Amino acid sequence: MGRKMFGKKMASTLLAALTAIGFLAGCSGNGGKDAATGTSGNGGSSAGAAKEAVTLKVEVFERGNSPAGMSVTNNYLTKFVQDHFGKPNNINVEYVPVPRSEEVEKLNVLMASGGDVPDIVFTYDQNVFYRYAQQGGLTDLTELLDQQGTNLKKFLGEDTLAYGKFEGKQFAIPAKRANLGKYASAIRQDWLDKLGLPVPKTTEELYNTLKAFKEKDPGGTGGKVIPLGMTIAPAQIDPLVWSFIQPTTDEQKFTLTQRLGSNDYPILLPGFKDALQFMNKLYNEGLMSKDFGLDKDKKQLYQDVSNGKVGFLSEDDTNLYDDGNKISSTLEQNVPGANLKPVDVYTNSEGKHAKPRYAPNGMYIMIPKSSERAAEAIKYLDWMAIPDNLFHMQNGVEGENYTLNENGVPVAPANVTEETKNRLYNSGDMAIISNGQQLGSDDKNREATVQAMSPKYQDKARESLKISNSDTFPPVLLSKPIEAQTKYGTTLQDKYFEIIVKTTMVKPDKFESTYESMMKDYMASGGQAILDERTALYKESK
Amino acid sequence: MSMTVYLRRYWQLYALLVLPLAYFLVFKYGPMYGIQIAFKDFNFFQGINGSEWIGLEAFKEVFGMRDFYITLRNTLMLNGLDLLVSFPAPLLLAIMLYELKSIWFKKLSQTILYIPHFISWVIIGGIVSQVFGTQSGMVNNFIAGLGFGEIPFLLDKHYWLFTYLIVGVWQSAGWGTIIYLAALTGINKELFEAAEVDGAGRLKRIWHITVPGLKPTIITLLIINLGHMISIGFERPFNIGNTAVREYADVLSTFVYRVGLQSGQYTIATVVGLFQAVVGLVFVLGANYASKKLTDESIL
Repeated sequence: MGRKMFGKKMASTLLAALTAIGFLAGCSGNGGKDAATGTSGNGGSSAGAAKEAVTLKVEVFERGNSPAGMSVTNNYLTKFVQDHFGKPNNINVEYVPVPRSEEVEKLNVLMASGGDVPDIVFTYDQNVFYRYAQQGGLTDLTELLDQQGTNLKKFLGEDTLAYGKFEGKQFAIPAKRANLGKYASAIRQDWLDKLGLPVPKTTEELYNTLKAFKEKDPGGTGGKVIPLGMTIAPAQIDPLVWSFIQPTTDEQKFTLTQRLGSNDYPILLPGFKDALQFMNKLYNEGLMSKDFGLDKDKKQLYQDVSNGKVGFLSEDDTNLYDDGNKISSTLEQNVPGANLKPVDVYTNSEGKHAKPRYAPNGMYIMIPKSSERAAEAIKYLDWMAIPDNLFHMQNGVEGENYTLNENGVPVAPANVTEETKNRLYNSGDMAIISNGQQLGSDDKNREATVQAMSPKYQDKARESLKISNSDTFPPVLLSKPIEAQTKYGTTLQDKYFEIIVKTTMVKPDKFESTYESMMKDYMASGGQAILDERTALYKESK
Repeated sequence: MSMTVYLRRYWQLYALLVLPLAYFLVFKYGPMYGIQIAFKDFNFFQGINGSEWIGLEAFKEVFGMRDFYITLRNTLMLNGLDLLVSFPAPLLLAIMLYELKSIWFKKLSQTILYIPHFISWVIIGGIVSQVFGTQSGMVNNFIAGLGFGEIPFLLDKHYWLFTYLIVGVWQSAGWGTIIYLAALTGINKELFEAAEVDGAGRLKRIWHITVPGLKPTIITLLIINLGHMISIGFERPFNIGNTAVREYADVLSTFVYRVGLQSGQYTIATVVGLFQAVVGLVFVLGANYASKKLTDESIL
């Protein structure tokens, strides 16, 4: 009996303890909330305004590259915004981090959550923007822009703004893109010199050069040479594939191109199969990265290039030379005398180095319908569009972060400290209305990009930018969204890369059958729907 | 004893039950409200109530998608192979560990075997590509050193299946032994001693004492596993898989991730989820029924 009593006591004590814990948790939860409102109230009164400060929530990309002591939600630029925009307008600007690598997934979740979604969100994916607009999830900004967006309108111009329209209404503010070039290639000049070979000028010559790299192994890699560095990222695939596309009529280009995500893919255009066949040949002759099908984020490629195994590759314009990736500098450390030189090689049947370029807009900045701070959001973007503010967000403090050279291009002083540099480590993600520097002319904009590199690589970077901007063609301009692209885009993009990988890796005698069956699958999974819709739209606009 | 008296006397026990019950209500039954998304043209700006009913429209669409059947086939195939390979692995391991006489060696082995269970699949994915890569992977470097050709462990779909299964065993077998080892402690030691006196060798003892002692546990785990036949974790196929082997690596969970989270077609994703739940239930009940008939052991 005594034992039973004891057990009973134990149980009730336990229960009491549990209840107490529950209460405590509840209290502290409330306490936290009270405290938060308290501080924001204080902030408002210290700014000297009668009404309480409002909070404006702004999305920001998290790339996991914050220097010690900083974060994407708290750094020099967030403070700059708060001091120069937030305080005077009695607004608390709060940044909401979203991982760069899964921005669309995270954004979908945020949008679905309704209340928690930031007041300013953005995406590079046009189809995502169309989907949100179509489902009625975005604020119509047409009027707000007229009322409060004078600077913004002036900065972007009608051409750029047109990209943010859906059914005639301004549902997004597209960022303005300064540099439209996408891709350049690079070759190991020191290997060419060693073999006494000229720089290849056409795709055909490139094939012979790659073969020579493989057979003679000028880098002394001990059989580990990778003549052509390849991945399944657009920067390595696009330039090669597009160079095989035949001259096309406007109608073909309009109806046979498919836009998946933010890129145009030439999957149905004449010549696409030849490109695959060429890749198949390169792969089966051992002229290309063997594991390219595993390399989505280019990490393996960068490692191989830095270790001096790769002979030739195409890449996003200046990526091989900038301070962030440190590819060229690591290579030169590992292989003294290595020289990775920008070249323009892939050539189409007309003898042009045809390559795609960007549309004149960057990401789509949107304000969700559920947001109560649309006016403040436009105010923020408008403030950012004032030239001085944008310039400061992109270049920092004069005399510390930069000095202007004779052409009016900002140049980093020689003795700039790491700490000063770090002020701007995520300036590209903060100055969302502009992709790249806006200095008034293409040349100046490009020169600003070049000046951001370390002096040793500025000439090469300049050359890369020249290459990435020559013989380019723009993405197909669509007068209205293609619904099938919005719906099937992600699925088909995966399939597109699957087609590339499978047809490249298959034994040459199986190429034909693999290509046929995969294309059939692609068309059945939405490719045909996109084709039909684009064809209809083309006829309609005729 | 009447119900009220009974309740009054043991109310503490019922009070203790409140928390687990609340857990199931909030996290398992509450979300079932969302199942209606499968029958609606879900628009997340309008919310569940604001979206229109569309009947079985979405089901028709899903059952017409080629990707659905491919991912369904792959899910069943990967789970089926896992059942053949990964299910017996912890059992064998547990029996071996049980036979070990040296305590410290047993403890050490167990700890080493558990470790992979605590490594995230993202990291395992990275390790796998370093170890099994064609160009610079450890295993292939070794094979090349012996003078043989490379083996595309990750890029050829058949080799990839092998890699997928081996990595699965490595990751989960050690952890899986826990439940068997727990069951083994319940076997009366005297049985072993008696068998030894009667002249039974080690294998005889394992076969006639250890295995029968584990039978209920094996059957319970088998039923649970069969119930999961149609559902597959997202992380393992997603992180071990790659574009080259999508033909086998694309499973229902990655399919749901793609159409649901990436493309925002929540209705389609919900339909697939509901389908998985219903088929999973059928599998569990079926396995339970079969087991009751065949062995008299069941969990329901």
